[in-house]
Amino acid sequence: MASIACSLRAARPVAMRLAPRAAPMVRLSMPARSFTSSRMTNLDFFVSSGLARKYTKDHEWIDLSADRKTGVIGVSEYAAEQLGDVVYVELPPAGEWTDQGDSIGAVESVKSASDINAPVRCKVTHTNALLEEKPATINQVPEDDSAGGGWIVKVEVDEEGAKQFDELMDAEAYKEFVAE
Amino acid sequence: MKPPQLLSRRATNRLRASTFSSHLHRPLTSRFSTDAASHPSNKVQIYLSKSTDPFLNLSVEHRLLQITPPDSTILTLYVNSPSIIFGRNQNPWLQVNLNRLAQIARNPSTAGWKDSPIQLIRRRSGGGAVFHDVGNVNFSVICPPEHFDRNKHAEMVVRALKALGRQNTRVNERHDIVMDVAPEAEAATYKISGSAYKLTRLRSLHHGTCLLRSPNLSSISGLLRSPALGYLDARGVDSVRRPVKNIDVGNDEFKDAVVSEFESMYGDVHFRGEFDDTALQVEEIRRGYQELQSKSWIWGQTPRFTFSTHPTEEDPRPRPELPFDLNMSLLARHGVIDELNIKHSDGAAVDTLDASIFQGVSIWEIDDWAESLTQAGLGGSLSKEAGAWLNGIFGTEYTSM
Repeated sequence: MASIACSLRAARPVAMRLAPRAAPMVRLSMPARSFTSSRMTNLDFFVSSGLARKYTKDHEWIDLSADRKTGVIGVSEYAAEQLGDVVYVELPPAGEWTDQGDSIGAVESVKSASDINAPVRCKVTHTNALLEEKPATINQVPEDDSAGGGWIVKVEVDEEGAKQFDELMDAEAYKEFVAE
Repeated sequence: MKPPQLLSRRATNRLRASTFSSHLHRPLTSRFSTDAASHPSNKVQIYLSKSTDPFLNLSVEHRLLQITPPDSTILTLYVNSPSIIFGRNQNPWLQVNLNRLAQIARNPSTAGWKDSPIQLIRRRSGGGAVFHDVGNVNFSVICPPEHFDRNKHAEMVVRALKALGRQNTRVNERHDIVMDVAPEAEAATYKISGSAYKLTRLRSLHHGTCLLRSPNLSSISGLLRSPALGYLDARGVDSVRRPVKNIDVGNDEFKDAVVSEFESMYGDVHFRGEFDDTALQVEEIRRGYQELQSKSWIWGQTPRFTFSTHPTEEDPRPRPELPFDLNMSLLARHGVIDELNIKHSDGAAVDTLDASIFQGVSIWEIDDWAESLTQAGLGGSLSKEAGAWLNGIFGTEYTSM
């Protein structure tokens, strides 16, 4: 799955773009209550909150911002390959909270309507309008969260969603999961 | 989805007692049982529908997709009264001849229609538009998504057809079942069955048609040809037209053969059920049934589309000349008008016209375009002529029924 490693590299600049503004705020205002149950230091938090991407067993990915309040969601390269040619992407309306595992959209490929599920509890704030016009972007760059990429939605994440994020698979674990 | 509810041992025995391992037995009840469908030990289930209501059959099937155990495999066989069933992401104005549906509904004999009225349904699965009637049997297999394979159960049906002596059937590259016919002149291939799929987090659904002895074959292509075809440019999914034929097998014969093949694939059947209209007593089925019948689902789920009487940058196809001097275009999302533009053919503005009143209007709620155009300030004969033409394009005679 070299292709996944590839797109992870592509993802990093986005996280960096978000990080500099968010980081000072995180350090200063990070309320102790978020971490009373764990003994994480801010640095641990910063590292573990992963400016990395996590994956679900349903083959969605999610990037979580450094302040753990926003994220970007898409489907994995493996899923895009399994789906076949995507001909339509049904984007969700913005503004509603969706629980983990519930549908936040659907794609159609080869006569199949497939649900896209929320990797964590989240509220959609933006949808990728490019997919309306060019649904095949999902086949070409499914894990690209930049302007021309195949990301599906941008979301707001609450504390529950951020906790759920920690339980998801990292790139390494996901790679093993799909290799099975 | 909630995990299946665990039942007491007594309840389990009761449920098991109502199941059959032999083909010859028939279930005692035709009531849909949520408990039986969701019972974790009912890993292989077969349902036969006694209803020909397409909304009911699709709603029960959808409920089975939601509640059957994640590791179970479910076969459902049903027959629908005449209906056009189009895909989740299709545009009914583009896929269906709505005027023809209205004629058939209002005056079947004048329209030359001998069957019962035709219902229009947007299904929850993907794919294109198909026609169903009582000479067509639908098969549906729900199984875990990790076993999902677009051909697996089409092959099952082909084996059933071969067991009935139809050796010339096979699954083609589009996952359809076709029949190769070799008449004197030249060999030809006809489609006898089309498939569509729905994948959720825990389950996958494959359902397909099988044309056995449809009396309406010659009408199908006309029903699925829209007058709006040359003027609409739609996102979403198009249908692929293929010549069709009946395989000439009886419905019961076909159902028995498919059940046999299913049994030989999955072994012991833990539950056999029948269902009819009483399934609507299950609240979730009733809700799904109402959703399928709602206008916001049938029309409002339509992907973005544009309509234009003249070539545009987005849709440069040449258009036939119109009998009136207007250039009209509109953009619709979810079947609701985002923007409507009306000019004279030479591009000049139309005096007194304020097309902004159309903004936010649901196309399916416009009963008469002539009236609406008059309201927008379009003068007398022009609004009548253009309105009558638009009524034909958007099938208002049908949508206003």
